[in-house]
Amino acid sequence: MKLSELDLGLMSEVANTPRGKGILLCIQCGRCTSSCPVARITKEHNPRRLMEMIILGFRSEVIPHQLPWYCLSCFTCLDRCPQGGDVGEVMFAIRNLAVKEGNVPAGVLAQAKSLMETGRVINPIRSALDKRESLGLGEIALGGLDEVQSILKKTKLDKVISPKETVKRK
Amino acid sequence: MKYAFFVGCLIPARELSYEVSVRKVLPALGIELVDMKDANCCAPFSIQSVDHASWMALAARNLCIAEEMGLDVLTLCNDCYESLLMVNTLLKNNKALKNKVNEILADVGKEFKGKSDVKHLIDVLYDDVGMKTIKNAITEPFTELKVGTQPGCHLTKPKRIHFEVLRGFRALDELIAATGAETIPYERKEMCCGGPLRDINDELARQVAREKLISLKNAEVQGIVTVCPFCYLQLDTGQLEVKRHFNEEYNLPVLHFIELLKMAMGMKLEDWEVKSHRIPLGDIVKGRIQEE
Repeated sequence: MKLSELDLGLMSEVANTPRGKGILLCIQCGRCTSSCPVARITKEHNPRRLMEMIILGFRSEVIPHQLPWYCLSCFTCLDRCPQGGDVGEVMFAIRNLAVKEGNVPAGVLAQAKSLMETGRVINPIRSALDKRESLGLGEIALGGLDEVQSILKKTKLDKVISPKETVKRK
Repeated sequence: MKYAFFVGCLIPARELSYEVSVRKVLPALGIELVDMKDANCCAPFSIQSVDHASWMALAARNLCIAEEMGLDVLTLCNDCYESLLMVNTLLKNNKALKNKVNEILADVGKEFKGKSDVKHLIDVLYDDVGMKTIKNAITEPFTELKVGTQPGCHLTKPKRIHFEVLRGFRALDELIAATGAETIPYERKEMCCGGPLRDINDELARQVAREKLISLKNAEVQGIVTVCPFCYLQLDTGQLEVKRHFNEEYNLPVLHFIELLKMAMGMKLEDWEVKSHRIPLGDIVKGRIQEE
């Protein structure tokens, strides 16, 4: 990687998103990584290092990468950060940016599409519906689907999940 | 006591035993559940990861429905709880954000006012029903049953939207003690179940679940008690996946907390409920199954 390939605006870009402000407080102490259940399992995932790469502007190593999707959002790091740096929140900010460039796992994409079509991310299969009926449980049809779709039209979710230009996932 | 009942996506689709038990036990404890009929998905981890504005607006729409009902929201899922509680807290405390979200909601004739609270099943049982009422309702307590609890992450985290650090842990432990069962501490109790990574990175999700299972097995528990449908799925069905990929068997039955309470209150589990558990419940339900 060359110096000219760094994106020095990356940190402010993250900091200016609704959940990204915490990046400005990061002192690289690593308490997030030592609290992270995924980092315990795989050395590949290291929240401190991800924060460092954002601070230094390594855009191509973060935004198209699968690493932001290794986070469980268990919020252990968020509660333990001595700076109140909200690492777990910054992860959401990074993923929001990643999605806008086409870095979205198939499972997440499927849930977003299901949300647009049905108002739910998970829908019951036929046998579950039959079982509900036999148990006398109420219907779970979503009456407000038109409202949900109208909201998602306004937030342009369809465009968010299928951006015109996409980066190659790493 | 009356609540706007937010049942979520996963429970009515896959974990009917959880829903049925809640609908049976809570009224027996004096709680009236009013279905939130037109509620949409809470907008969990996946949707929050995709788009901030869509998350906020959809969670707020649900909160508006509860406000219109004039009730607080009761959730059964840690993911729903986190999403709704987080948005409720943020919008109540940030006028600019509230105005922005209300602008989106105006099109569908909704307005977030901040009049309702969001509660998890455990909050409602522990704070609102209260330990005294629950203890009085126990007629067939468990004896010599040792369980490990999986409180899950978002029952207690992040601490800024909860009143007290790890309060949910204590609440759940006390509730379990009321049923006569004993809670055994274990090393990885605070650790995530791995659920959010299902369908994103199945291998990692399995490995996280395995860490928990190893820790639970080492603590010599007879079963696991969960309060979240994702934790339940991850630890129950997840055990079969761990078995397949690591060739390891843990054989730890997993119960929704409400099922444990239901049985301790003298209500039997039906045959289909028992069978809905992928890891056989074994001795835990001995004499507590409805005869056909």
